Amino acid sequence: MTQEIVALPTRRPLDVSSLPIQGLLRLVSNSRVQLALAILMPIIFLTIFRSVLPLPGPLDTNLRAMMQPPSIEHLFGTDRMGRDLLSRTLAGVQISMFVGFAVAMLALAVGLVMGTLSGFFGGVVDRVTMAITDIFLAFPSLLLAIGLVSVMGTGMLPVVLAISLSDVPRFIRLQRSLVLTLRTRAYIDAARTVKASQFWLMTRHIVPNTIAPLLVAASIAAANAILVEAGLSFLGLGIMPPEPSLGNLIRDGQSYLEQAWWISTLPGVVILLIAIGLHFLSDGIRQVLDPRSRK
Amino acid sequence: MSERQLNRIRGREVGTIFQDPMSSLDPVMRIADQMVPPIMRHLQMNQETARAEAIGWLDRVGIPDAGRRIDAYPFEMSGGMRQRVMIAMALSCRPKLLIADEPTTALDVTIQAQIVELLRELTVETGAAMIFITHDLGLVARFAHKVGVMYAGKLVEFGPVKDIFAHPCHPYTQSLLDTIPPVNQPERRKLTQIPGFPPDMKLPLVGCAFKDRCAAAHEHCFKDTPELSARGPGHRAACFLPEGLGEARHSDAETIPPMVRNSDDRVVVEVFNLHKHFVGRSLTPWRKPPTVRAVNGISLNIREGETLGIVGESGCGKSTVARLLLGLDPVTSGDIYVDGMAQMVFQDPSSSFNPKMTLFDIIQEPLVVTGWGNRAARAERVNELLSQVGLDESYAQRYPSQLSGGQKQRVAIARALAIKPSVVVADEPTSALDVSVRAQIINLMVDLKRQLRVSFVFISHDLLTVSYISDKIAVMYLGEVVEYGPADEIFRHPSHPYTQALIAAVPVPDPVAEEARVKNPLSGELPSPLNLPPGCAFASRCPKATDYCRAEKPILQAYSGTREAACHYAN
Ligand SMILES: Nc1ncnc2c1ncn2[C@@H]1O[C@H](COP(=O)(O)OP(=O)(O)O)[C@@H](O)[C@H]1O
Ligand code: SF4
Ligand code: SF4
Ligand SMILES: [Mg+2]
Repeated sequence: MTQEIVALPTRRPLDVSSLPIQGLLRLVSNSRVQLALAILMPIIFLTIFRSVLPLPGPLDTNLRAMMQPPSIEHLFGTDRMGRDLLSRTLAGVQISMFVGFAVAMLALAVGLVMGTLSGFFGGVVDRVTMAITDIFLAFPSLLLAIGLVSVMGTGMLPVVLAISLSDVPRFIRLQRSLVLTLRTRAYIDAARTVKASQFWLMTRHIVPNTIAPLLVAASIAAANAILVEAGLSFLGLGIMPPEPSLGNLIRDGQSYLEQAWWISTLPGVVILLIAIGLHFLSDGIRQVLDPRSRK
Repeated sequence: MSERQLNRIRGREVGTIFQDPMSSLDPVMRIADQMVPPIMRHLQMNQETARAEAIGWLDRVGIPDAGRRIDAYPFEMSGGMRQRVMIAMALSCRPKLLIADEPTTALDVTIQAQIVELLRELTVETGAAMIFITHDLGLVARFAHKVGVMYAGKLVEFGPVKDIFAHPCHPYTQSLLDTIPPVNQPERRKLTQIPGFPPDMKLPLVGCAFKDRCAAAHEHCFKDTPELSARGPGHRAACFLPEGLGEARHSDAETIPPMVRNSDDRVVVEVFNLHKHFVGRSLTPWRKPPTVRAVNGISLNIREGETLGIVGESGCGKSTVARLLLGLDPVTSGDIYVDGMAQMVFQDPSSSFNPKMTLFDIIQEPLVVTGWGNRAARAERVNELLSQVGLDESYAQRYPSQLSGGQKQRVAIARALAIKPSVVVADEPTSALDVSVRAQIINLMVDLKRQLRVSFVFISHDLLTVSYISDKIAVMYLGEVVEYGPADEIFRHPSHPYTQALIAAVPVPDPVAEEARVKNPLSGELPSPLNLPPGCAFASRCPKATDYCRAEKPILQAYSGTREAACHYAN
């Protein structure tokens, strides 16, 4: 063969989708993401290691230390049954994190399957799925979650199911539009020229290329789920006391705002911090992934 | 200079035309709102006279019905029309200098010829000077007076156009000229390839910027940077050697032996009376839905080892034919027979590969899908394919994003060859590539077709390339083949008026030849394939059209023994 070997160009284009580590590095170098991590990391860290911290259990009552204001002994004070509020707040954060994670994974899994089928096969399947998602999307997600919880009852499992269900249509939509754009790529045609099966096209070419954008959507959905769960519990529709959750902690302290401000306020501050942190995080992720918003 | 001072110069003194008119025209503003205010500002006119002036310019650049069209939005116009609007805008403030940055790169040859002719007339008429930036040497030969050749941010050669083309002195200019398929060749030679890539401009440069790719590079070149120095009257070049590559210039251009053809070579592709209609959605149920007749009765055949070139303006149905041949779309009617497998090389190298797959997986995919061999056998085959397309085996573990455009096209060819297809359909495989890389890919395909005796269908709007690589050419117009026959014959003596116009529109990189050519570019644009006229489809643009043509459709019939043409007055 007379063709000479052509050298590699010195400048390699960066492709986030094929190199996860570089994508991660670019994410971490974004200033919003850094701010978000600065806020969230300490909270997450304390929550993970709360069992080794010298704290009473979140359900341990202490009748000799009721309604105590914040002190060295009880940093967040205690409630009307003498339970340590820092311990309860951290337990609440743990529940929030679990809800966020579970909702994101559940919605992602269902959205992935249904969106792929809908986008890939089109036709009747697609039209029915789209009609259903349209109905769901017409309601604000908190309202939808409230409706669903009031049907399914309170507690952890109904809350997770209700929030995921209200997120699923969004994931189906996203996955479907990703599939529709990917379906027109030339590499799909190339595979079709050797009569590759639909299953091959979906599993080799389409689904792997939708994972990165789906994960981004999942991180945003997780953030949203945490806030919705707090909202539901605050309304008395989510996690029920004595099991602590950020929402029902605030609700608990509401009637004592004048005598014991700390019961509601301190968990409230934690929610506020989490909300701000998650906002910066999803903003940063969007900035990194959407080239138009990058300067 | 401040932004404000610059703005005064822009428009009034300097007019600009860019490659993509859509990015310089505001899509949500009417043409009038974009054209009139600058005229008012720069020429101190009131609204009414400025508008009249603008309409005058639009008319001058060939926008039909300019008085009405001035209130249109840019998206309501075709690419060629938008480029005309850009030219009208640029000239309307009577600049002394016009800068045109690749103004015709996105356009078809026939439209390009119209625009270039227009630019030439207008600059002569208004006395404006023009800087025409392009990578197309043919265009330079067609109408520049002086040429500056740039490499890595520096002018490496500058001079009168005839000197540059007849006696190029810088090795870069010399190689660049040799990468273009020549027009009149008694025997076909391989195209010159410029190896490597331009230097990384982020790194400091020692010595001549071209040294790594220059065949004449010597010790001196690595130490000092050559300055522009005189080569003739007004002709300067930046090279230590007065003659550049000198004698060595053509030494490596080996000749390509003509293909031995036997009439009993088996036919690998046979297409008979192929039709493809795209039926749109009808707005109202009782109306007939709009139908695009993209392919309208085509018959072709390709023998083993033969290359068929398909040329025509964009929208004439070339890609549709390709997709039908590959079985990617169902045919509306007609027969396609392919002996063996058909494979494809796509135009856009960036979307040709799954970004998540390594080159190894990409190239072996057709083998895996068709159940060819075990893993070890496939690995061996992939390595063989990589070396056939001139890539090192170590490339197998790379990802597509790590390759240049030319390397991607090599991988695309390797993938297409994997299952030993009988025909490879290449749809504009070189259109997205740089000239020097284009020559590499063309040489590669010429080598492969000889070594493997695989047949190619080479689709392009670039007639020069198609006629260089093909044995046979089919010229398409609005979904039909209007001329069909041996490549050199058609290129040298086109018989159909459309082929004649296409060939006349191709700029050839030879200023002397260009001067001698008659230039009356084909007027108008491709009519909509939605409602085809009853007679000859080309009648609306044909200089020879008669009433008979408009009434009676010419069919493709034998002309001069070796080829076929669809014209009542072919000659
Ligand atoms: N999927 C499609 N649906 C409707 N019209 C199409 C489709 N594909 C191509 N066409 C139309 O068919 C004609 C030929 O297109 P194409 O084969 O892409 O031309 P070319 O490759 O020569 O530029 C064009 O008018 C185009 O708009
Ligand atoms: S100076 Fe040397 S390297 Fe540069 S173009 Fe001339 S011969 Fe080639
Ligand atoms: S048939 Fe008539 S209109 Fe058609 S190409 Fe020939 S001369 Fe022109
Ligand atoms: Mg095309």
